[in-house]
Amino acid sequence: MRAIWRLARLDLSLWRRSPWAVVSALIPPLGMALLLAVLTLSVGRQPVALVVEGTGQSARDMAQIIEIDTEAYALTVTDAATAARLLHDQEVAGVVVIPAGFEAAVVHHTAALDMTLNNIDIDFADDIRRTLARSVAEFDAPQLGIQGELGGPSQGFVMPNPYRVAIAETNLRRTNVDFLRYQVLPALVLLVLSTGLMGTALLSARDVERGTARHLVLAPVSSWGLVAGRFTGGLLASFVVLVPALVLSTVTGVISPPPDHWPALLALFAATTLCAAGIGATLGAWIRRARTVAMAASIVATYLFFLGGGFTTIAFLPEWLRTIGAAIPIRYAIEGMRQCLFYPDLTGVATDLAVLTTTAVLAIGVGAVTVRRSWSNMT
Amino acid sequence: MKAAAAAVWAGARAEAVQLRRSPLLVMLAVIQAVTFLVLVSLFGLTGSRAPTALVDLDGSDIAARFVGSLSAAHHSFALQRMDARTADAELHRGSLVAVITIPRGFGDAVRRGDTVPVPVAVDNVDADLTDDVQRAVPTAIAAFARDLGLPGIRLHPAELDLVGHDTDFIPYLVISALALDALVVAGVLAAISVAREFEGGTARVLALSPVHPLAPIAGRVVTTGAVSLVALLLTWVLVVVGYRVPPVNPVEILAGLAACVVIFSCVGVAVGALIRRTLPVTALIFGIALPLYIDSGALEPERFDGNLIWGLAHTSPVYYAVGVLEDAAHGLRVTPEPVWLDMLALFGWAALAVAVAWNVLRRRIVA
Repeated sequence: MRAIWRLARLDLSLWRRSPWAVVSALIPPLGMALLLAVLTLSVGRQPVALVVEGTGQSARDMAQIIEIDTEAYALTVTDAATAARLLHDQEVAGVVVIPAGFEAAVVHHTAALDMTLNNIDIDFADDIRRTLARSVAEFDAPQLGIQGELGGPSQGFVMPNPYRVAIAETNLRRTNVDFLRYQVLPALVLLVLSTGLMGTALLSARDVERGTARHLVLAPVSSWGLVAGRFTGGLLASFVVLVPALVLSTVTGVISPPPDHWPALLALFAATTLCAAGIGATLGAWIRRARTVAMAASIVATYLFFLGGGFTTIAFLPEWLRTIGAAIPIRYAIEGMRQCLFYPDLTGVATDLAVLTTTAVLAIGVGAVTVRRSWSNMT
Repeated sequence: MKAAAAAVWAGARAEAVQLRRSPLLVMLAVIQAVTFLVLVSLFGLTGSRAPTALVDLDGSDIAARFVGSLSAAHHSFALQRMDARTADAELHRGSLVAVITIPRGFGDAVRRGDTVPVPVAVDNVDADLTDDVQRAVPTAIAAFARDLGLPGIRLHPAELDLVGHDTDFIPYLVISALALDALVVAGVLAAISVAREFEGGTARVLALSPVHPLAPIAGRVVTTGAVSLVALLLTWVLVVVGYRVPPVNPVEILAGLAACVVIFSCVGVAVGALIRRTLPVTALIFGIALPLYIDSGALEPERFDGNLIWGLAHTSPVYYAVGVLEDAAHGLRVTPEPVWLDMLALFGWAALAVAVAWNVLRRRIVA
């Protein structure tokens, strides 16, 4: 045990004395966090200009429907010439015009709400189309607006409307989880992956590349003890980075699971770290050259992260991708952690933990054999 | 002059030999390039069509037409028919964004002119998808009413599109991903090549050489640039064949990619000379690549995200590269600046990158 602990401490101090290795492990998750912050700004609200040319109560009502929907529109109310300039300069993605003669057209049931749309790609173009279609529907059926969806028919109060359909929406949770809070968890997983995988991989590769593996093999300690020390060192390095990040996220309220979900959440983090260390040790001992290991580790971490649902929800992907995702251990980590954080119960977490733990044991087993072999080949 | 050219050539050959001896590194560079296509495709796949359970308790032809309207509602739903219990379980497991239930008697009630409440249960765990569902259901209802020709509707939307065709999200994303590829592949290979000179101590030897000491390094970077360009061209072929995105202007794509390789190779040279370690360059370039990519008009024209982010985007060559590549591939104008200006800015960046790389190297080796 003492030998294991000594090697672990040695690896940890080596890790601390290699600022560039620490930086290598930290930059991808930091980049991801920055990316999330940028993405958060572009989610939800669409930049649209509104031109009100019509006069009369109907035009005012329509304008008000659009103006008060601040969650959907980043609105600029302006005149036609300015709106055209804004559209040309890409300051807005669409121009909505309530035309002159709107009042009379409404009376004749022939009113149109004109929209000129910069439909460069369907992702945001469809967002605007959906948003405007709801605003138009709200004109004749106020209950089709967001307040009506949430508060009318679902409470048993249905107002007749010419569309003959109302929406009785119920939400699973009291408040929506914003995009940043939903995605910060994968950034933490990437932190674990990056430090565990790259840290252990680089330590393993360095021993082989620098020839220090020869000295390790000659040490009066069993090779399995040395391997255990290597994994413990990799784990400690990961925890040194992960624990402050978790504390910071908790203190700032970015992650706030129900109190009884904490043990499951921590177990998932620990199992993920073990997985990453096992895969990293295999990679490092197999590739052996530090600079190639760094690149390979970053690619492996990328695939594990993205195919595991780091940037998406695997359950929402097509069937064939879900099949691939089923073989990615990080998927179980992310799904389990989301269950711990955002859902009232721990349904499926036991399975996620079991899969992760099994993978961790397998990864450590394969990693141990590979590391041991790489040391033996040095002698 | 002749000696300098010989030194450049020797450096290029030495790097070629080095890369030939590191086939895994070259292979990983190509894999890295393809990885970004996979990455952005995954992102694109969840940009639309929220997985939604449809529980049809009515089964009438009117209900079927409502289902048709839901399916056609601006790529909003991936509808999966299931029974109520399964749908509820799947929703609570996080496999669905919403469950839409068409109640019994829906068709008859609509025929009578009654207003039928349709229960929609939403897993509002992700604000983006929740917004999509909350906006898409009224859209489908409006289309359904139009389809049935229901009376009493006073207002309709009338849309005029600036672009004659809709571009799918993934084809849009994979083109901008080429700029990201260029940044990572060219940057990493050049940075590793330069950092190796410092790590191995050969940078000191170069300072003593009878020719300009930067000439052999320039040769090395020419080789890494050539390898990067080949990797990018292979990726582009994959985009054309695999993703079926034939370019509107192939020459413009080639010019854009070549400029990107020059710029990011030089960025790699500067990074390699500043850090002087091979180990962190991959992670460093990869780490800065993602935010730069997102803040470059990669998902949509950057100015739609506000003037601050748009202003910041101008500090990165990726912004101009995406502008050029999207125009070349799809004929889309994604920057307020004209494409010729984007191209000019790209060449300006290339010149600046060469100057900065040269200066950093000179300080590190010659000075």
